[in-house]
Amino acid sequence: MSASSAVIVLESVSKRYGSRTIIHDLSFTVEKGEIVGFLGPNGAGKTTTMRMIAGFTAATSGRVSVAGFDMATQNVEAARRIGYLPERPPLYDALDVSAYLRFVARVKGVRRSAIPAELERVMTACHLEAVVRHEIFKLSKGYRQRLGLAQALLGNPEVLLLDEPTAGLDPGQIQETREVIRAFGRDHAVLFSTHILAEVTLICRRVAIINHGRLLAIDSPGGLRRAVEQTNRVTLQVVAPAPALRELLLSVEGVSSVDIRGSSGDDSVLTVECGVDARNGVEAAIARAVAGRWDLHRLERQQPTLENIFLQYVKETPAGGVPA
Amino acid sequence: MSGALAVYQKELATYFRSPIAYYVVAVFLLGTGYFFLYNIFLTGETTMAGTFQNMGMLLLTLAPVISMRLFSAEYTAGTAELLLTLPLRPWQIVLGKYLGAVTMLLSITAGTLIDLVPLYLFGTPETTTILAGYLGFVLLGMACLAVGQFFSTLTHNQIVAALITAAVLLGFWFVGHLQSFQRSDALRSLFGYLSFSHHFTDFIQGLVRTEAVTFYLVVSAIALTLSAGYLAGRR
Repeated sequence: MSASSAVIVLESVSKRYGSRTIIHDLSFTVEKGEIVGFLGPNGAGKTTTMRMIAGFTAATSGRVSVAGFDMATQNVEAARRIGYLPERPPLYDALDVSAYLRFVARVKGVRRSAIPAELERVMTACHLEAVVRHEIFKLSKGYRQRLGLAQALLGNPEVLLLDEPTAGLDPGQIQETREVIRAFGRDHAVLFSTHILAEVTLICRRVAIINHGRLLAIDSPGGLRRAVEQTNRVTLQVVAPAPALRELLLSVEGVSSVDIRGSSGDDSVLTVECGVDARNGVEAAIARAVAGRWDLHRLERQQPTLENIFLQYVKETPAGGVPA
Repeated sequence: MSGALAVYQKELATYFRSPIAYYVVAVFLLGTGYFFLYNIFLTGETTMAGTFQNMGMLLLTLAPVISMRLFSAEYTAGTAELLLTLPLRPWQIVLGKYLGAVTMLLSITAGTLIDLVPLYLFGTPETTTILAGYLGFVLLGMACLAVGQFFSTLTHNQIVAALITAAVLLGFWFVGHLQSFQRSDALRSLFGYLSFSHHFTDFIQGLVRTEAVTFYLVVSAIALTLSAGYLAGRR
């Protein structure tokens, strides 16, 4: 075992299929007690990366290790410590829910005597009690997804890999699933991919953004915000003559640009967007300068949303397989 | 071994929930029953030899139907992603699934025992010959299933797996006929040795030869090793 608490370690991992490179030189770690969100547009390489960590496919070059075991040579040892929910829940339609979970529990090495309690635990966590005896092919999409999650939780693995765990769930189920992930993430390492950006802000300590098989950024949601927005924006609505307002705003320290969008309905109300630097107190200075002379209706500082951050990173990536 | 056992039990639980299993059982038992009556009434001999011969042919067409789903179905259902990321070694998966298929073979074989009832009621058949025939049939079936399982690891498509398996098994069955066209002794004995039907005929005649037993077991072992090797190398 390595001395650090990194449980999932990727070291310059690449994956090629023939001449196509799917993953380029990917490196990151996930530590114990950490939930990392994995973001990227469709086809970015999220599922391939998940599969390499889970041991379903092997990296062409580089090294993947889980809980100190090299996935290239010790994947069975590592597999005992991994719970994996693939993009498509891997369910045997012909089995009933409890038979399916019992099979996975046995293979994961849960002691025979401990199996009933373990099944009880994951079925309660994933709200499956109502369908214990149901055949899997009769389950709704929401139940299938949660059964896939329950399967991954069996045996209390050190590492949880979830490929879009909330896909196909209704809002209530999404809420419950997030709670499961959050609770599990307290003392395990969790990597999960998603399209829902709000989800990442809600439960992740760090976010990894990937596109065209390259890691673009990995940081806390707050850190990503700071990195993206060198300059923040302040929006105000004010009743004033445009040229004079522009002149005044540009004279305020910290304001770098002024964009006047014209009136909104009443021809004397202007909507103004100012580019300001990250210093605190810029809004207050603007408010002081404006309020003395004109009628200030609204003033707010806009935080960059994760959507914007994500889109900005993704737009900046070159397509194609040329290494950066 | 416990991993292989868990896979085996999972296989058994899924087998009889599939309509294909019932199809296989029905076709095999109806076919065998028909051949049995036909052979008995035509020859008037209380022997299973003709029936065994026909059972062997029937098996060549039904074994691919049993084996085609072994891996192809896991690939299409997405469950291969579970099976291959669970703490299981490839040989455990291959062995567990193979034993499941062999259990299916044993159960259809057991179904044909009913044909023996009239045989023993109205005649005095040679028990040892019949036992040898059954042993040969099971060994032949084990080889066919192992070959079929290997082709099932190679493709997502069950139909393709079944068709390739059937073609290969028919090839092994009839390869003995090529003997008559060969001048070289080496080739003649090679074709004879590779023939599934030559070895099977020995069993039907009541001959349990080590060479024939070994042949079927070696074919099975090679096919199983190839399957496990393919799964390990597939990553």
